[in-house]
Amino acid sequence: PADTRGAAPARAYSAPAPVTDVARLCVCDLLVAQCDISCCCDPDCSPEEFGLFTACSVPVVTGDSHLCRQKAAVYSLDVEANPPERIFQLTDQVNPSIFCIHATNYKQALYLRSPEMPTPENFDDLLNKFGSSAFNAEPESWTVDTDPPEANETQRYEYGLPIQTEDAFLRLPSPVVSSWCSDANPAGFLVNQATECIRSVSVEKCESTRALNMLFYINSSILAVSMFVFQVNISVQSVVVQSLAGTRTLLKGADVLRLPLILDGLCLNVVLGVSYHITYTDTGEIREAAAAFVLGAITKETLSIQQSFQISFTQADTKPVPLSGNPGYVVGLPVRAGFNPQGYPFPAEFLFAALASSHKHSQLSILQSTPTQDCLAAQGARAPVLFGHNVVSGCKLRITAAMKCQPLAQTLLDVLKGQSFPEYVASFGNSQAQDVLDWVPITHLHVSEQRIPNTLQSSCQIPVSFGIEVKWTKYGSLVNPQARIVNVTATLTTSTLKQLPSGRERTIPITSSVVFTDISSPAEPGYKAWPTISIKLPFDFFYPFV
Amino acid sequence: RILNSSSQLSSLPLQILFYVNGIYYIFYFLATLAMIVYKSQVFSYPDEFLAPDLAVLFLMAMLEVPRLYLGCKGNLREEEAALGLSLGLTVGSVVLSVYLLAWQTYVLWADVVLTAVLLCAYGLESGLKVTAIAAFVS
Repeated sequence: PADTRGAAPARAYSAPAPVTDVARLCVCDLLVAQCDISCCCDPDCSPEEFGLFTACSVPVVTGDSHLCRQKAAVYSLDVEANPPERIFQLTDQVNPSIFCIHATNYKQALYLRSPEMPTPENFDDLLNKFGSSAFNAEPESWTVDTDPPEANETQRYEYGLPIQTEDAFLRLPSPVVSSWCSDANPAGFLVNQATECIRSVSVEKCESTRALNMLFYINSSILAVSMFVFQVNISVQSVVVQSLAGTRTLLKGADVLRLPLILDGLCLNVVLGVSYHITYTDTGEIREAAAAFVLGAITKETLSIQQSFQISFTQADTKPVPLSGNPGYVVGLPVRAGFNPQGYPFPAEFLFAALASSHKHSQLSILQSTPTQDCLAAQGARAPVLFGHNVVSGCKLRITAAMKCQPLAQTLLDVLKGQSFPEYVASFGNSQAQDVLDWVPITHLHVSEQRIPNTLQSSCQIPVSFGIEVKWTKYGSLVNPQARIVNVTATLTTSTLKQLPSGRERTIPITSSVVFTDISSPAEPGYKAWPTISIKLPFDFFYPFV
Repeated sequence: RILNSSSQLSSLPLQILFYVNGIYYIFYFLATLAMIVYKSQVFSYPDEFLAPDLAVLFLMAMLEVPRLYLGCKGNLREEEAALGLSLGLTVGSVVLSVYLLAWQTYVLWADVVLTAVLLCAYGLESGLKVTAIAAFVS
């Protein structure tokens, strides 16, 4: 405010005077009223502390070495004495060069200049000189860029530019410094991000907290081109409701806005996660924006919730198929698999139905171990098989006398193999469905564990172990080898189910595994050919005689 | 008139000194100029301090030429007016060399040595000129 500025007295601020006396100057004295280690010139050190030093970090303090004669403070430790003591000497240091400075009449010659203190009078001047991002001693030599960007030019979005909305930027709350959510993180164009952060909540304030409200995330519409008027509204793509126990259900009729409401001591419709999907064109415009929400509930005891946010970009008029490598598989990306409904090989045109990764059911997946370890309660938890990651998982099966073998075998087969086990696996990470030769069929093996070798009756067998062995090789140049899957073998081990006397029960472990084996042919030694000396005598060497 | 030392009033030591002074001054001028260039590269030498030092050096060079010429002429022709004028110019040169000795922005040890030698030469010259003028006048 202007009135307080005028009321303040005009005091001359100045920087503290520089210390130039060599005897008082101590560069290593950093801690106030405490002894600095190995600092022999520190006045706060007592003689006992000097005894603990091994050497002086600053042995000599002098002025500019160009001077012909100058005072020097020399600090050293006398280790012979008991206790060791610090020796301080003020000596004269002489520069023998003939070009040493005998005298100067220029005060700032050998010292750094104290900067000018800004006052109301010289502030504008200083701002002109030093206000820009760079300045030098001769400001006139800088050429000023005098053509400003045209005002009518609309800027397309470029990679990394914050996506602008009506009022500010599209927010993607993320943890800054600590794990708490900060709403000031803008989403960058074409930057796929996924963040998780913690927000403190309370049931009483949940209706008024903006960040828990769906509207906060879809309220302001995105500008299609930055600084342009055309706006894109954020539509609600889907809403998933998560119960207090953790189960999620997808809501039908997702265009209804659900706002937080307090009911029975719970606050419902609290935003737990937002996933933005932005469709862009290749000219840098945003065409569509959609948000998928996960809503949850909080109780009176909940002090904080974890929110997760994600943003992904898709180019308009394209259908993205995530590749697992280009062309060789990348370690950690899912192995692509699929079906061929018409059988292989077939000369007529055929397409693989449902490529992996875009369709969860046809992915090569493996049973995922659950904390309960009960096979029959597995609920279909499966993990995708990632290239290069060997996985062993399993569960425990409790067999009671009442269980029938045939349905049990079928259930276990479903548990081990999954709902739809694919038939073909892509040989390269970017294999297209049309290239039949790029797909490797899965070979199935059946091994039956005979516990009692002389059992003649064909008792029913239940699968106990399922192993997928993927053989891959290095393909391509030596410098940049690409991983290529050559062979996939799925081995199912079954064993006979012994009939139990009633009342007894057994627990048998069921395992499934995925193993990746590198079958690249090893390097063979090769030798360079020995150089041969080809000697041929000239044609007429023995002239007179031949 | 018979030319013998008793009737020749021109001072031989003064003439030798003029000759030596001339050669030494050329060396002194070049050396001091080179050192000013060195100082401006190695140390911080702002323009407002460099200008007076160079001005003094060039002024001294410009004074030196008439000073030596008038001195030689006056001594050889036994004219006290020329010699007196040369003495006046010597006083100016002394003042300028005292500036270079004591009030220059950076005074190096080499500066001190060279300017001291020059001042000694000026002092000796002035003494001999006074004696010569006294001899001419009487």
